[in-house]
Amino acid sequence: MKVGEIMTRDLTSVEKDIPVKELIFILDSAKMSNMPVVDEEGKLIAFISEKDIIKAALPGYFEMLHSTSFIPDMNQFAKKLGQIADDPVERHMHPDVICVEVDDDDLQAADLIIRKNLKSLPVIDAERRLVGVVKRIDLLHHLL
Amino acid sequence: MIVTVTPNPSVDEVYWVDRLKIGKETQEEYLTRATDSDISAGGKGINISIFLARMGLENIAMGFVGGYTGHVVVRALRDEGVTTNFVWTGSGETRINLTVLEHGREHIPILIDGPGVAVAEAEMNRFMRCYRRMLKVADWVVLAGSLPPQVNLAFYYELAKLAKQAGVKVAVSAGASCLTHCLPAAPNIVKPDTREHLSFEWMKLRTKEEIINAGKRIVQDGVEIMIVSHEVTGDIVITRDNIWEINARVQTTQFRNLVGADDALLGGVIYQIHNGAGIEQALRFGLAAGILSAESREKVCGDKGKIEHEMANITLKRI
Repeated sequence: MKVGEIMTRDLTSVEKDIPVKELIFILDSAKMSNMPVVDEEGKLIAFISEKDIIKAALPGYFEMLHSTSFIPDMNQFAKKLGQIADDPVERHMHPDVICVEVDDDDLQAADLIIRKNLKSLPVIDAERRLVGVVKRIDLLHHLL
Repeated sequence: MIVTVTPNPSVDEVYWVDRLKIGKETQEEYLTRATDSDISAGGKGINISIFLARMGLENIAMGFVGGYTGHVVVRALRDEGVTTNFVWTGSGETRINLTVLEHGREHIPILIDGPGVAVAEAEMNRFMRCYRRMLKVADWVVLAGSLPPQVNLAFYYELAKLAKQAGVKVAVSAGASCLTHCLPAAPNIVKPDTREHLSFEWMKLRTKEEIINAGKRIVQDGVEIMIVSHEVTGDIVITRDNIWEINARVQTTQFRNLVGADDALLGGVIYQIHNGAGIEQALRFGLAAGILSAESREKVCGDKGKIEHEMANITLKRI
């Protein structure tokens, strides 16, 4: 089966100059944990996740400990988050985005999602325009 | 690609009742038990998107959604195979529109539409950027339905103007104020929503003559096709070269749910024109889709074969 047949047909995305606080609002409202970043043509240029935002707010702890139990207190986390709230998404996004094409096999999407431990994978057309996302749940639903 | 814009979507709740009890005194009976009910994603553009998807035509639905009911709308569209591209608002829930249909009087529905949620400036800016991106893949945009509270009445005009500048065709289906404001952008197709008002600022649309006079003036200003529902089973269509009266040979007693029927009509016309059909074929298909939608429990009929068969019951007369 092709990726286009199992993907979620959703184009929710952001442009690279929007502030982090706006991204957090969209992630929360749309109940997403990560977001494709597109240019003015709608072409996929990067990817950003809630994990990237946490990492940006608490770089040292994240790198060293991989555990939020070592955050001294939530006030400090909130303060750090406030400091990056107006940063453009561009500052924290991943330009080396992992994605699949709409005509790729579902197996290829499954392989990437499982191997790279991804929650979702952007889907692009031949011109690199975003056309949807494959979520882990899409795969599970499709396979059952 | 067809892009629909529904600025003020809804969750549509429909209740069928034997008789609606409306108490005037506290001691009167006032609880009505429905015999049947339905819940679906709604709003004119969304109905058109669902209709087009059921015809097998890929399309993208845009607009503003919020809260739990916003998720209901988005999920329903994706389940129909429509691509979603909505802007999330922080000011509340997507509205609920309520329809009550009394058995035997389904052609005269009781409609209560919610006002919708306000759109913040940042959300509007996000939508406009998103809309400009979508114009790069669109060949048609459909601007349909009411506007959320406090959104400028020139909103559709701005969207139509941008689309026309990008070489994208435009259809507008809306009520009095925003449709009138949009006309200077010369959309390709306009369909006034006459459910609330039978007049549109300078336009009166009560009689056949008034509709024709308004239509002639509108097409003179650059609109290609104006479609006006004149009777429940018929429309008047005005183009630069022709005026048609289009009717269906059906009884209104056959109607089950009128909500969405007008949107199926416009969706049918756009579907046919998009596929290269002539105007007469498009109008026959559109009205057949509208009639079958009105006759079904569901808001829009998705059976293309049945629609094509129903076209034999549609008469088209040049005036």
